[in-house]
Amino acid sequence: MKVKPVNHAKAAEAFIEDTAHMDFHDERLWDLRQKRDQQMHILPEWQELRARASAIKEHTLANLPEYLEQFEANAKKNGIHVHWAADGAEHNRIVGEILEKHGAKSLIKSKSMVTEECCMREYLEPRGVVVTETDLGERIQQLDDQMPSHIVVPAVHKLIPDVAKIFAKHYHTDPNDDDAQSLAWQQRLAARPVILSADAGMTGGNFVVAETGSFVVCTNEGNADLSATVPGLHIATIGIERLVPRMADMGVFIRMLSRSALGSPITQYTTHFRGPQKGSEMHVVLVDNGRSHRLGMEEFWTSLKCIRCGACMNTCPVYRRSGGLSYGAVYSGPIGAIIDPTFNERKYSTLPFASTMNGSCTNVCPVKINIHDQLYKWRRVLAEHHELPFVKREVMYMAGKLMGQPSLYRAAINSTEVALSTMPRFVLYNWLNPWGKHRELPHPVKQTFHSWYKQNRLKTKKKEGEGA
Amino acid sequence: MSTSRDAILTRLRDNRPDPKAHPLPPVARLGDMDNGQARFENSLQILGGQVLERQEGDTLATAIARRFPDSKVICSAVPDFEGTIRIEDLGTPQQAASVDVLVVRSPFGIAEMGSIYLSEAQLHDLNSAAHLTQHIVVILSPKNLTANMHTAYMDRPEFHTANYGVLMSGPSATADIQGVLIRGAQGVRTLSIWWED
Repeated sequence: MKVKPVNHAKAAEAFIEDTAHMDFHDERLWDLRQKRDQQMHILPEWQELRARASAIKEHTLANLPEYLEQFEANAKKNGIHVHWAADGAEHNRIVGEILEKHGAKSLIKSKSMVTEECCMREYLEPRGVVVTETDLGERIQQLDDQMPSHIVVPAVHKLIPDVAKIFAKHYHTDPNDDDAQSLAWQQRLAARPVILSADAGMTGGNFVVAETGSFVVCTNEGNADLSATVPGLHIATIGIERLVPRMADMGVFIRMLSRSALGSPITQYTTHFRGPQKGSEMHVVLVDNGRSHRLGMEEFWTSLKCIRCGACMNTCPVYRRSGGLSYGAVYSGPIGAIIDPTFNERKYSTLPFASTMNGSCTNVCPVKINIHDQLYKWRRVLAEHHELPFVKREVMYMAGKLMGQPSLYRAAINSTEVALSTMPRFVLYNWLNPWGKHRELPHPVKQTFHSWYKQNRLKTKKKEGEGA
Repeated sequence: MSTSRDAILTRLRDNRPDPKAHPLPPVARLGDMDNGQARFENSLQILGGQVLERQEGDTLATAIARRFPDSKVICSAVPDFEGTIRIEDLGTPQQAASVDVLVVRSPFGIAEMGSIYLSEAQLHDLNSAAHLTQHIVVILSPKNLTANMHTAYMDRPEFHTANYGVLMSGPSATADIQGVLIRGAQGVRTLSIWWED
């Protein structure tokens, strides 16, 4: 059976109906966007930083095999075990084998979108490994059995009472606790014994430096540092696109990452791992999972420049009002909408349409990915591959015919104005017009621009011509 | 063992864009070059860090006693401060969880961010101590401030030599519950700077 496309519009509808949650979500993310703007205005060199970050990333991607080999050689010299995983299944098998070799039954981990891609928890848990997320937001999502709804703030769609209920169920705390400070303290108390008794720790990696064989991890809670330094075994799962050539390149990226993400100058912790700590073992699993294929997509390869700051999500009016979970994918928001179809074109065929094409995502992207252009290009690809739903396909076909012929178009516009002012609601607002579901159609105008222009300007022009 | 590695590298070579069209830009030294103490303190405060108050006649010990009156285990990672236990005597990474205040010296700070740097060299190979302790007091000299992230990465040798190197910018923090900013999440609850000459 063919996989069904994610019904983003329907899921978004449910999100919108819950006004309290949607309003908070919308305002919270817009606040992050405004804080990002404040940080940007502090730095006169912001646009130069973006241009450099983009150029460094494009160079690295064009030379990725060489930089990966350089990283591997240096990391090995530093005492790191380097593994390569073609896909999620291989990644999970590698991690499972490392844990088994160490007899590790409990794994504490910091946030990693790659492990979400690989469905690692679902693989390890039936094999007797207890996996505990140590990032507060990610832990809330794990306890609630949900995917992260945002790549930086995974539980941003939840309010305090939601968290209180989840903690009450799992940590036996007060279900009516309405204080974020006290709830965060409960998490600290619950996490400490798990961290102290863990057999192994896992982190992701925000950046990988070929020159030194290091990887860099950025967090605010310090949970990646706890996961990496307390147990005697550290496994880092990292996508192969995360490389930068030189340590000196890191300044460009660290100066923009947290400013773009949260509007803070830097994450509280920026940690550089170059080799195992004393008495410990370190493994890096380099994960492809479709990335090498994406590099060959002429119109979409630059999406691999992404540093996962989430700025495009925070600014997107559709994302802010539909919530990350409505995308039904590991990556949500504008960046998700251009990455997800590379994993499964049919399943994620609806996501490139979850955009108003306002271009704000492109403007805030610190590595200058042309996100809204790629959204448009995906729509074209999906149309060519017949992945458009019936109504959209038919409407697009008719629109194409209309727009291609000015006389037909003008006749249609005139009759639309008549229709908008005369037709009953049930004709205008039905399943053939999903646009009108939550919106009012535009007010009919008395006269179109074209006919006004014909009446007025054309006459004036003629007069001027006569006078000369 | 190497099949996936070779397959990935081959696919990347087949699929990549033309390397000649994407040259590597030279390393850049951009932005504000002020490496002063005032800039550092301002950035530190934005990220929730503090400067340990120094009253007339204070030593580090009296300043810590006033700031953390309830602390029992004060762990020293420096030769010139005693504390109640030395970091070398903690034994395992897990035992660092008993520490109330860790005193450590940072080789450099970054004025742009109010960040301090620590590696296994300062933590005596017990890196967990910087994160399991409740509070951290960092001794820093204003002479060892670098202006910004570019100068730090270009000029500090530690990024090329340490196995573990953390830039801490204020204490552990989170805003994961309804956007409320909380200082002191999973790691240190406070971070204080003690200026030395």
